[in-house]
Amino acid sequence: MNVLSNLPAIILLTLIVGFLVFTGFRVGLQFLVKRIAGLVFVMFAASFITFTLGVWSPITAVDAQLGDKYTPQKAAILHHFYGLDKPFFERYWDYVTRLMRFDLGDSWLSRGRSVWSILSGQLPASLLLGLSAVGIAVLVGISAGMLAALRSNSRYDTAVQGSALFFYALPTFVLYPIFAISMTFLYNRDLPHLPVVSTEFGLAHPEQMIAPILIFALVQMAFYVRITRTSTLEVLRQDYVRTAKAKGLSQRQVVWRHTFRNAMIPLLTAIGPALAFVVNGAFITETVFNIPGVGTTTLSSIAQNNTPVVQGTVILLAVAVALMNLVTDVLYGVIDPRIKTV
Amino acid sequence: MSIEQGPNQQVPPHLESLGTSGAAPFPPTDGSLKDYGPLADTAEPSTAATQSELDLQAEQGVGERVTEGQSLSPLQASLRRLGRDRRAMACFAIILFIVVASYIFPFFYLHIGPTIQGGASGATAVDPETYHQYTHQELLLNNTPGVVWKLLTLQAPTTEDFAYPLGADQLGRDIFARTMAGINISIQVALLVELLDIMLGLTIGTLAGFYGKWVDTGLARFTDVMFAFPGLLLVILAAATIGPVAQKQFGPVGQLLVVAVVLGITIWPQMARFVRGQSLQIKEQQYIEASRTVGGSNRHLILSHIVPNLFSIVIAAATLNIVGTITAEAVISLLGLGVQPPGSSLGLMISEGIQTVTAYPFEALYPSLILILLVACFAFFGDGVRDAFDPRTKD
Repeated sequence: MNVLSNLPAIILLTLIVGFLVFTGFRVGLQFLVKRIAGLVFVMFAASFITFTLGVWSPITAVDAQLGDKYTPQKAAILHHFYGLDKPFFERYWDYVTRLMRFDLGDSWLSRGRSVWSILSGQLPASLLLGLSAVGIAVLVGISAGMLAALRSNSRYDTAVQGSALFFYALPTFVLYPIFAISMTFLYNRDLPHLPVVSTEFGLAHPEQMIAPILIFALVQMAFYVRITRTSTLEVLRQDYVRTAKAKGLSQRQVVWRHTFRNAMIPLLTAIGPALAFVVNGAFITETVFNIPGVGTTTLSSIAQNNTPVVQGTVILLAVAVALMNLVTDVLYGVIDPRIKTV
Repeated sequence: MSIEQGPNQQVPPHLESLGTSGAAPFPPTDGSLKDYGPLADTAEPSTAATQSELDLQAEQGVGERVTEGQSLSPLQASLRRLGRDRRAMACFAIILFIVVASYIFPFFYLHIGPTIQGGASGATAVDPETYHQYTHQELLLNNTPGVVWKLLTLQAPTTEDFAYPLGADQLGRDIFARTMAGINISIQVALLVELLDIMLGLTIGTLAGFYGKWVDTGLARFTDVMFAFPGLLLVILAAATIGPVAQKQFGPVGQLLVVAVVLGITIWPQMARFVRGQSLQIKEQQYIEASRTVGGSNRHLILSHIVPNLFSIVIAAATLNIVGTITAEAVISLLGLGVQPPGSSLGLMISEGIQTVTAYPFEALYPSLILILLVACFAFFGDGVRDAFDPRTKD
């Protein structure tokens, strides 16, 4: 097996194992074992669902590759090559063993390139979009949410809460037509404007990055505002905050030292999966802006019935979500020692 | 101290020097505070007044006033609380108007409008009963801006613009008729999904909370898997693989049926967990114990005591879920996996409109605005319902 081709996976694995060993001392072995067992179970279930949906797919590898050059002889050869003549569970077992070797399989189209090589080419754009959007959303969302909680029932609070609820409910893609129409309006009047498509999304074209990132961030921001506001209000009601105020600490010290850190715990739960979903690209944002990312690749693969690529993205995401959940759980234990025994 | 004593009681002489003697209405109002002399000056009347106002608001908003609460059932009390929430009621009125209009108005709409020259040659007379059907194409009249857009851009409308008030799309289909058909689809999918969600979530959640054991463990594991497995991706995958098969079986609605069922399957674990937590709490209440003491069977306990008590939180959660369902259906249709043309859906219309958004902005604008309005109203209404039916979860 080629070690080099699996280098990213190996580096990732080393980092994760290192993190777990490092934190494992602090959260206890039993906790860790329990969580990892849960992770393995989730992975098995996710791979099973993905595989089953692939089997049910109306088009098999044979149909996808032969097309109108179909002859029974060629079909029989390919049928055997892809192991379609084996029983269901044997095929599933083959699939899982390949996954364990970090092999996501080969694409049915594009001359049988490996799924990983296709996806890894699209990952940078998706990661850039996702991580910067999550970053902006978290920073702005937490600040707005904290302010709203500290000034609860003020006019500012009502406004923040109302707009957060509005944007939280809003799907990303309805913002796009409005954005595109206003940009067309500016363009027709020779005013400064942003491009409405981002086919070359990347650091080389910063003007193409602004709109997708902001629109993607805006919708997530609302989510963080809501969580931060609720959890901060919860903490502000605690006795230790009253004690801190009573013993004469300044507002700044009460907010940062006593409130903020404790209010962070529910936020971790939200940020973990959000970071994981980044590997899957933003389906809608990428589609409306024509960004070549994992999301658009997945969708075009669905349209072409290129099942291995679709399965690959699903598995990639399931791994990321499961790992981020594990990391979040462990971080809880590190931040708040009382959670250890959950 | 003097507050608790009430106005008519004698104040001990040693307290009189504080200047707090006499009538002390509670909560103190702005006016009464001014009469307090020295105390009013030192106690910053403005902050004191706002604080008491807040208390009052909190009392009225969260708790029922005692005089009313005693004669009202919990449901009536919740509905009355909801009725007082002006924002929620306004949103509910808008939703009701949109939904009812989208079901009833198409029948009238078929008879409104001028006769236009259309057809393949452009010389055939076409009446509104034909061109106001949401699937009808007038290819020669495609991308007609419509009277609303003409007026917005300060242009003079033509006969064709009056025929298509909101314009016609790339294939010359009436955008207004298609929007109404799209709203119908959104509402139908939302109702179907919520029905599935409530049925599955309530049944399994109650069983898991009441009996525990393997139902509980199974639910917990299944929820774990569902959380790791992104709901939207599962729906996309299922729509792509099972959708075509279902379409052969059930016709054009097959695809939508698959989307609705899979959406229901992906969201019920949240509801079940919610219900489970609540029924665990209810199970420990004294009235359950009392019912058991007088010989109530498990079935009786669940059906007559636990489920009715879950009603309010289930309603609140389901109303909030509708937002997600409408959005999800629009997303699936936007990606081309939901409603198939010539059928209509808000998501499908937006995705078709986006392709020509720079040339004919109105084609994407109207369905987007309707979707924004619908989703925002459902969100605000759901928020109000949650506050009214489940006050404990309020911040």
